Amino acid sequence: MESSNRLLLLAVLLIGASLATGCASRRALEQQQTEEQAAAEEAAEEADSTPPRVIEPNVVRRKIKTPKIDNENWEIGAGAGFLSIEDFGTNQTYAAQLTYHVTEDFFFRGDLGQSTAGRTSFETLGGNIELLTGDERRFTYYSLSLGYNFLPGEVFLGRKTAMNSGFYVLAGIGSVDFGGDDHLTLNFGAGFRVLPTDWLAIHIAVQDRVFDSDLLGETKVTNNIEMLLSATVFF
Amino acid sequence: MELSITTTRSGPLRRISALAFVLACLVSVNVLAKETPEQKAERIDEKAAAREAAEKEKLLQVFVSEPYLELSTGPGRGYPVFHVIEREASVDVLFRRTDWFKVRDEQGVEGWARARDMRRTVLADGSPFIFNLGDRAGFTTHDWELGIGGGDYGGANLISAFGAYSLTDNMKVEAHVSQYLGNFSNGWKAEVGINHVLFPEWRWSPFLQLGTGVVYVEPAATIILPDDRTDQTAYVGAGMRFYLTRRFYLRADYRWHTVFTSRDDNQELEEWKVQIACFF
Repeated sequence: MESSNRLLLLAVLLIGASLATGCASRRALEQQQTEEQAAAEEAAEEADSTPPRVIEPNVVRRKIKTPKIDNENWEIGAGAGFLSIEDFGTNQTYAAQLTYHVTEDFFFRGDLGQSTAGRTSFETLGGNIELLTGDERRFTYYSLSLGYNFLPGEVFLGRKTAMNSGFYVLAGIGSVDFGGDDHLTLNFGAGFRVLPTDWLAIHIAVQDRVFDSDLLGETKVTNNIEMLLSATVFF
Repeated sequence: MELSITTTRSGPLRRISALAFVLACLVSVNVLAKETPEQKAERIDEKAAAREAAEKEKLLQVFVSEPYLELSTGPGRGYPVFHVIEREASVDVLFRRTDWFKVRDEQGVEGWARARDMRRTVLADGSPFIFNLGDRAGFTTHDWELGIGGGDYGGANLISAFGAYSLTDNMKVEAHVSQYLGNFSNGWKAEVGINHVLFPEWRWSPFLQLGTGVVYVEPAATIILPDDRTDQTAYVGAGMRFYLTRRFYLRADYRWHTVFTSRDDNQELEEWKVQIACFF
């Protein structure tokens, strides 16, 4: 009898223990469930703040390259004209020019040209006198100038054609190789430019190239005036 | 796949054809002046062909986002406005000259638009059309410099031109070509060096320089001296840049040259010069 009582007590204890642990685990499960629910609610709240994703976008974004624009600020060309070399007559000259347009108003320009001097009146009258040898008569110059465009306008040819045009003044420094010596030269002048197309320009320009010369005995300032007709291309 | 809304026209080819055209023009000026109806028809055909070719070439397209975009007849403030492009319409950018863009609208009208106005247009994706303007910010950051000037080289007059490329805002690689004209000798020199601008954002901006080159000496005709010679030279120096306006700045510098002559001792020379320069 005693043993049956012991068995009953043990059974009650066992059931009690199992119930107790079962409740505890249930409570833990419930707690976990409430946490999950809270997290789901939070996620739902977040989802509410951003628009719902209906379709997953599968589009590659276009990459747009920074455009490279063709800059046409350089102008290169050549021309021919006349150069009056002081005391040595007026002669043909050929020149090349390179211009960089910095703004619509200002430009840098480099000129390179060559002419051949004639005879002085002293040589002509004096008979068989040669002041300079053939090589020394070659008049070679270059100049680096800063120019300024002014009076822009249009030239009208007939009823249908209008060409852009403009005047410019320029001044600079350079060098003249003449009479067997190089001379530091200042140049200044003015020109007129007509553009039949956007990339082609026709120039008429007059420049004075001033330098000290001692070819005729004493040092004096010589003025050498050049008139040039040239064609240039923008690139 | 990388898409681009722009392709440039083939530059070199265009330049060569441009040069060829100039020569042809020079030869045929008289012919063009008195053209026959056949020639005129031919010319119109050529124009049509050119228009077709232009349609094929892909150019940068920008959209007007301001109320309107004005087109002038020429690239200068004096030229009259002859056409207006309305908001949302597009233009093709043909090329740029100084601060003007040559553009073509949807109807094929071509004209010049101011850079300042083009700054307010947008690209196809709505992003702003950005390009460099010649202003104070450009003085601090740019790629190229070009300048001319004069000065004194060991007592001789100096004429000089230079070009520089910016590695960074502070560091530039530069090349100078100069001619000097003195009482005892004339000559040329060419130098390559490094230029360090200490504070590129300052209007008065000091710099240091270091470089090397060659100097060609040609004794004056009237003085009996040894023959023409070419020597190596090295220099160290300092200077100042001053931003003027638009794309221009002034630059003054001093250089201390050592010329490595074939004689026993090296020659030392001082150089001073002032140059006007532009950046782009």
